[in-house]
Amino acid sequence: MDYGLTIKKNRISNQSLILDIFIWVFLILAALFILAPTIFMFTASLMPANDILKMPYRWIPKGFYWQNYWQGIRGNDGSFIYIRNILNSLIVASVVSATTVIFSALAGFGLAKYYFKGRAVVFMLIMATMMIPFEAIMIPLYLVTTKLGIQDSYAGLIAPFLVNAFGVFLMRQYFITFPDEILDAARIDGASELMIFRTIILPNSIPAVATLAILTFKSQWDNLLWPLLAVQSEEMKTIPLYIVKFMAEKHTDEGAMMAVAAIASIPILIVFFKLSKYFLGGAALYSSRKG
Amino acid sequence: MNKRIPNYSIERKKARWGWIFVAPTLIFFSLFSFYPIFNALYTSLFKKKLLSLKPPDFIGLDNYSYLLKSSDFWNSMRATVVFTLGTFVPLLIFSLIFAIFIMSRKRFQNFFQLAYYSPAVLSSVVAAVIWLLIFDPRGLGNQWLNSIMNTPGIDHKWLANSVMVQMSTMLVYFWKYVGYFTIIFIVGLASIPQSIYEAAKIDGANDWKNFWYITLPLLKPTTILVSIISMLQCLRTFSTQYLFTQGGAPLAPINVITLNIYHTAIRDHQIGRASAMSIILFVIMMLFTWVQFKSSRADEISY
Amino acid sequence: MKKLFTIFLFVLLLSMTMNAAANLEITFWTHEDPNRTEIEDRYIAEFEQANAGVTIKRVTSGSGQIQELILTAFAANQGPDIFNMSIEDEYAYIANERLAPIDFQAAGYPSLQAVYDAYIPGVLDPVTYKGQLYGLPLELTNWCIFINKKVFRDAGLDPEKDYPKTWEEMVEVSDKLCIREGEILNRRGFDFRYPYYLVAMVPMVEQLGGQLISDDGKTAIVNDQAWIKFLKFMQEWGPSGRNLGSPTYTNARKLFNMDNNDIGMCHTGLYQIGRINADNPAFYESKEWMVVPFPKFENAVKDVPAAYYGHYYMVNGQKPKENQQMAWKFIAYMLSHPEEYLTKVNIVQPTVELMGSETYKSMPYSDVFTNDMAKGHIVYYGENSAKIQSHIREAVESVMLAGVSPEDALKTLRRKVQEVLDEG
Repeated sequence: MDYGLTIKKNRISNQSLILDIFIWVFLILAALFILAPTIFMFTASLMPANDILKMPYRWIPKGFYWQNYWQGIRGNDGSFIYIRNILNSLIVASVVSATTVIFSALAGFGLAKYYFKGRAVVFMLIMATMMIPFEAIMIPLYLVTTKLGIQDSYAGLIAPFLVNAFGVFLMRQYFITFPDEILDAARIDGASELMIFRTIILPNSIPAVATLAILTFKSQWDNLLWPLLAVQSEEMKTIPLYIVKFMAEKHTDEGAMMAVAAIASIPILIVFFKLSKYFLGGAALYSSRKG
Repeated sequence: MNKRIPNYSIERKKARWGWIFVAPTLIFFSLFSFYPIFNALYTSLFKKKLLSLKPPDFIGLDNYSYLLKSSDFWNSMRATVVFTLGTFVPLLIFSLIFAIFIMSRKRFQNFFQLAYYSPAVLSSVVAAVIWLLIFDPRGLGNQWLNSIMNTPGIDHKWLANSVMVQMSTMLVYFWKYVGYFTIIFIVGLASIPQSIYEAAKIDGANDWKNFWYITLPLLKPTTILVSIISMLQCLRTFSTQYLFTQGGAPLAPINVITLNIYHTAIRDHQIGRASAMSIILFVIMMLFTWVQFKSSRADEISY
Repeated sequence: MKKLFTIFLFVLLLSMTMNAAANLEITFWTHEDPNRTEIEDRYIAEFEQANAGVTIKRVTSGSGQIQELILTAFAANQGPDIFNMSIEDEYAYIANERLAPIDFQAAGYPSLQAVYDAYIPGVLDPVTYKGQLYGLPLELTNWCIFINKKVFRDAGLDPEKDYPKTWEEMVEVSDKLCIREGEILNRRGFDFRYPYYLVAMVPMVEQLGGQLISDDGKTAIVNDQAWIKFLKFMQEWGPSGRNLGSPTYTNARKLFNMDNNDIGMCHTGLYQIGRINADNPAFYESKEWMVVPFPKFENAVKDVPAAYYGHYYMVNGQKPKENQQMAWKFIAYMLSHPEEYLTKVNIVQPTVELMGSETYKSMPYSDVFTNDMAKGHIVYYGENSAKIQSHIREAVESVMLAGVSPEDALKTLRRKVQEVLDEG
C-alpha cells in the first residue's frame, strides 16, 4: 500500500533507506514505551514489595513470589471475595453489552431506515446524552435507582447503562449504507418489520454488533464511579471497587497491589487478544463510510 | 437517500415502526439521562446543601454568578482547557503518525496495532495504580529520564511539581488512548482507494505531495471524528486526576472541572453549586461539538 | 412532584414498619478493618441470638470511600441505621439534624448523665448538640512519633537520647537519617502524614500561638506570624528546601512496618502497634521500635500535641423509632467490650474504666499516648472542616511544591477559609 511514505523497491536511495530505518526505530521505541507499564505491572506483581521501588528496577524478578497473588485473591481478611467480585464484573459487563447491542441496533435501525416525523430531533436528543457529564447526574441518578428499589443489586449496577448514545450512533452509521432495495423486497414477500430486523438486519451486522459489544464490555469493566455509589455489600462489588478498597487497606503493599491489578487485567487481555480482529477491524465503523 | 415516490399508507406504517424501534432507547434515556440532567438544571437554581432536610432557597442564577467570580472555578476551567489541549493535540498528531508509519510497513502491522492498543483495555484504576508507582520519586519515571538525559540523581517531581503533575496526567491519558485513535486512523487510511495514488503517480507526484494533497484531505472525516471523540473524552476526564490526588499529588494544578464538581458536591455538600458547574460543563461540551460539526460539514460523517 | 414524593416516602416508611413488626433489620455501614470485622461479626451473632427477630446487616467499605457512600445514601434519604466516620465528616449530619439522639435506656444507662460519666471528660462534647447526645465513640486516637531504632543506630545516633524533642531537632535528625541519591530520597528520616492537616499541622501552628479560627468562630487565621513560621518550616522540609520529604513519596506509616531501611520515623497512633505485629512479627518482637511524644517548636508558646480524632457510632434519625432503639441497644452491646477492642484491634474507647484498667496501662507505650492526649484537644470539626482542610492542604502544597511564598499562600488561605466561614 502507498500512503505517501512507502519505500519503493525499485529506487532505493540512501535517503529512503534512512527514512525506512527511522520509521522502524520510531515504531519500536514507541511500542516499548507503550508496553513498558503493562510489563512493569506483571513483573512487579511477582516481586516482594521491597524490591519494587529499588533503584535501578530489575525487570526480571528473582523468582516467582506467588504470595502476592495469593494475598490478592484471598484478600486481607481471607474472604476470597475478589473471586465473587470478578464474577460480578463479568456478569454486569456481559449483560450491559447484550442489552446495549440489542437496543442500539433497534434504535439505530429505526433512525437509519424509517423516515418518521421528529426523527432528527430524536437523533439530536440521543446524541446530546453523550455530552452529559456523569458527575452532573450522579445524585439524581442515585435517587432514581433508590426509588426503583434496585440499589445494591445487579439491576442497580446495570440499569443506567442499558443502552448508550454512542452505540445508537454506531449502529445507525452502519445501517445507513444498507441497501433499501433488499428491505423493500422482503416487505413485498410479506415479512413484518420485526422479522426484517431479525432475519435480515441482525445477521448482516455481526461485525458492528461484535465491536459494540466489546467496546461496551470494556467500558463497563472500567466503570468506577457508579458502582461506588450504587452498591454497598461486599458481595455486590465489582473489580475496580475491590482494587480501590484493597489499595486503602493497611496490610496492602505494592507487590500485592500489582498482583490485584494483574488479576483484573488478565481476563480482559485474554479477551482482547482472542477477539483482536474485532477490536482492530471494529474501528472501521468509526471512520464512517468507506471511500 | 430514498427518492422513491412513497406509498402513503406504507410510509405511515413505516413511521410507526420507526417509533417502535426507537421507543425503548428513548424511554431509557428519559429516565436515566434527561430526567437527571433536568433535575440538575433545576437544582442549580437553589442554594441547596446535600444533607439539609429544609426546603432549599430559590436563588435564581446566583450559583452561576458566584462561579463566574470564583477563582477556584476559573482555575478548574484553566486546568480542563490545558489538559484537553495538551492531551488532544498530541493524541491527534501521534495517532496519525503511528497510523501512517504502521501502514507503510509490510510486516508486523498487526503486532504494532495490538501493542499500541493494549493499554486501552486496562481499566483506568489499574492504569493509575501502575503510573503512581512509576512516578514515585524512586520509580521508573526518574530512572528512565535520568538515564536518557544522563542526569543521575535528579528528581523530576512527576507528581509534586505543579507543571510536571499536569504533564503526568496528560502522559497517562496519551498512553492509554493513543492506540485507540491510531486504529481509527488506520481504518480511515485503509478506506482510501489505491487508484487515487496510482493516478497521482502517473502525474508525477512525490511521497510528500501524496501525503499532503491526497491522504490528509481524504482523512478529514476520520480526523473530525477522532477530534470530537477525544475532545469530549478529555473534557470529561476524572479518574486519573482523582486517583493521583488521592496518591499525594497537589490538587490545584489538576483540579479539572469534573473533579471540582465532585468535590463541591461530595466534600462541600453544595449540590446547587455543583449542579450549576455541571450545567456549564454540559453547555461547553455541546458548544464544542456543535462548532466542530459545523466547521467540518457535518454531513460527511453523520449523513 | 413534592407531594408524590411525600406519599412515596410515607408508603416506604409504612412498608418498613410493617416489615419491622415481623422482622427488624438493622443496617450497619462501617469502614474496612479485618480485625474489627472478626470481633464485630461475633457480637452480631450473639446479639441476634439474644434478640429474636432482629438481623444486623453489617457492610464494610474502604476508608477512602465511606464518606461519599454514606453521604449519597443520606442525600437520597436512604441512609443506614448505624454508621461511623471520623468526627470531621460526621459533624454535618448532626448540624443538619439527620440523626437520632441516644436512647440511654435502650443503651442500658440509667440516665443521660450516666453516659457522660462513663466517658473521660470532654470526649462527648463534639457529639453534643442542643442538649442532646448524638454519638458514642468507637475509638479516640491521637498520634505520636514512632521510631525505628536500627535506622538511628545506622546513622550513628542513639535513639534513646537523640530522638527529636523539637521540630528544629526533627529537621536535623531527619537530615542525618536521610540517604540520598542525588535529589531522590532512598531513606527518609521522618515524614508527615500529608492528607491529615487538621490532625497534625494545625497543632503545630497553635504551638506558635496561631489559630485556625478565632474563639468567636468568626475570623479565619489568627496570628499571621505563627502561620508564616509554620509555612516556612514546611517549605524548608520540602524538596525545594532541605528536601527531607514530600507528599508524593510512599506513605511513611506503611513503610515503617516493613522495616526495610527506608524510613526512620513516622507519625501514627496506638493502633499501629497491632499492625506492626500483624505485618511484620519479627520486627515487632525485636523491640527495635519505640514511641516518643509529638515534638514542639523551640520557642513554642503553647504545649500542643497532635489533635486527637474520634470515630463515633451514630444512628439515622429518619428510621422508625423501633429501629433507632434497637440500633442504640446494639451499639451499646458492641461497645461493652472495650478491652477486646483494645487487645484485638488496638483501638481505644475513651471510657473511664478502660483508660484506668491494667490492660490499657500494660500496653507498651500507652503512657506516651495518654500524656499527649491529656495535653491535646480534639481535631477541628465543623460542617465545613473537610473543605477547610483541603484549603490548608493547598496552602502547604503551594509553598512546598509550587514555589509560592508563605506570605502569598497565607493570603490565599485566609481568603478561602474566611469565605467558608462567612457562607456558614
